[in-house]
Amino acid sequence: MKFYVNLRYLIVPISSLVTILGILFGGIYAWTGVFLFGIYTIIDTVTKDIHLRAEKDESGNSYGIKLFQYLVMYVMLPVFIAIQAAVAWRLYQYTSGAQLETLYFGGVAYQNGISGLNLVGAVISAALWAGLGIIYGHELSHNKKEGFLVSRLIMALSGASHFTYAHVYNHHLDLGHEDDPATAPRGRNVYLHTWLSHAGQSKFSYDMEKKKLKNRGKGFINIDNRWLLGYLYSLPSIFLFVWSGGVVGLLALSVIWILSNFLLEALNFMGHYGLIRKEGPVEHRHSWDNDSVFTSWFFIEIGRQCDHHVRGETFFWELDDVGGPNYGIGYFSLFVLTLIPSLFRKYVQKHLDNWDKNYATDKERLIASKFNINKTDEASLAS
Amino acid sequence: MLKIFKKNKIPKRAALLQSNINFEVLPRTTLLSSALSKGIDWPHRCKVGSCGTCKCRVVSGKVKPNIDFSYTLNQEELDKGFILACQSELISDIEVEINLNKNKERK
Repeated sequence: MKFYVNLRYLIVPISSLVTILGILFGGIYAWTGVFLFGIYTIIDTVTKDIHLRAEKDESGNSYGIKLFQYLVMYVMLPVFIAIQAAVAWRLYQYTSGAQLETLYFGGVAYQNGISGLNLVGAVISAALWAGLGIIYGHELSHNKKEGFLVSRLIMALSGASHFTYAHVYNHHLDLGHEDDPATAPRGRNVYLHTWLSHAGQSKFSYDMEKKKLKNRGKGFINIDNRWLLGYLYSLPSIFLFVWSGGVVGLLALSVIWILSNFLLEALNFMGHYGLIRKEGPVEHRHSWDNDSVFTSWFFIEIGRQCDHHVRGETFFWELDDVGGPNYGIGYFSLFVLTLIPSLFRKYVQKHLDNWDKNYATDKERLIASKFNINKTDEASLAS
Repeated sequence: MLKIFKKNKIPKRAALLQSNINFEVLPRTTLLSSALSKGIDWPHRCKVGSCGTCKCRVVSGKVKPNIDFSYTLNQEELDKGFILACQSELISDIEVEINLNKNKERK
């Protein structure tokens, strides 16, 4: 049981390594990351009705091995760096016009050089898996010292190092409130949310550092400025891509950052869309749970948002079903729906109605009714 | 050196001055989680160091902060020795001031 509980969370690490191999093998294999993403969307959808609880031994202790899980999370930093390095190598080959030919490395065949189309595949593959890397950036943001720094560095690979501070000091404190940029109000679509949430979290981190430095009598341009430092952590990626691909490299890195941040914000979007908290502590009802089996294992239980937001200090393998609001489908399936805002709104409405009726307090219901009035107005205008 | 290689297996003790409570805090365990596991009604909310509800004042002894307290506590509080219990491990036995009735007052 102990092995099973710990090994089931290795889907992303193994898939990331396979994605790197795909980029290194080249040719059509450069699309491996995209292919895996598609396959996993199907698996997630097919297994949506399987929900498991956190397994514990007879004494009530979790089977999770902390040292092993932390080791995996720390190792993911060099893995994500390796994904970018592999893409940079392909960018260099593309921009230097390396001839397309089959070569051998240690007896293993790979395609030297890369076509424009397959380079696109490599870049999108890297972007998707860099975006999925946020699950480790997120988990480690709640753990201290080395873990917190590793979280910052993982997020910096996507130009989003500010996330680590904003997530802990803003999102966890202001969840469901208008002060939390990561909570999407009803009616907003995932595309707009990506920009607003990203900018809002960065602004929060900027303001927090500004205040801290002012209290310490230090200027804004300072080595203690973690907002600024976070963006400096992203410089190696910029240098690598510009050095290896020039303008094409910069374009490729932009795609990786935009797409990976889109995935990050889509998770925030799905985790709290339309939920409202007027006052008082964060409770289970202020998050949506996504705990179908594949989502739980793939996203290292990040979908157990209801429990996570009440027990923020709890390791992911100890999070459990707490009876909070639940979409009933996994993240991959729901993500596809969010891509078509009208479809997503239609799907989520019945869940929001249920939330308003069975979970919201009177004050929260009152705020919800204002959104619902606006929705009615829009509908009558449309007709 | 990484924390995981450090050997610090001796439990420390925390004494709550206003309530005459004394309890053990294991290595790599926070003051708050130890208190809660002993059934002490320590005021808390987020447990990730962002709300400040669990703050208390250290009268004697040393703690190891897991995060930078200055994001949540102001300079005056820091100067007075306030810490966040949810983000503090003990380096030595400590004595702290904490109003355990804060929860009841709020209710």
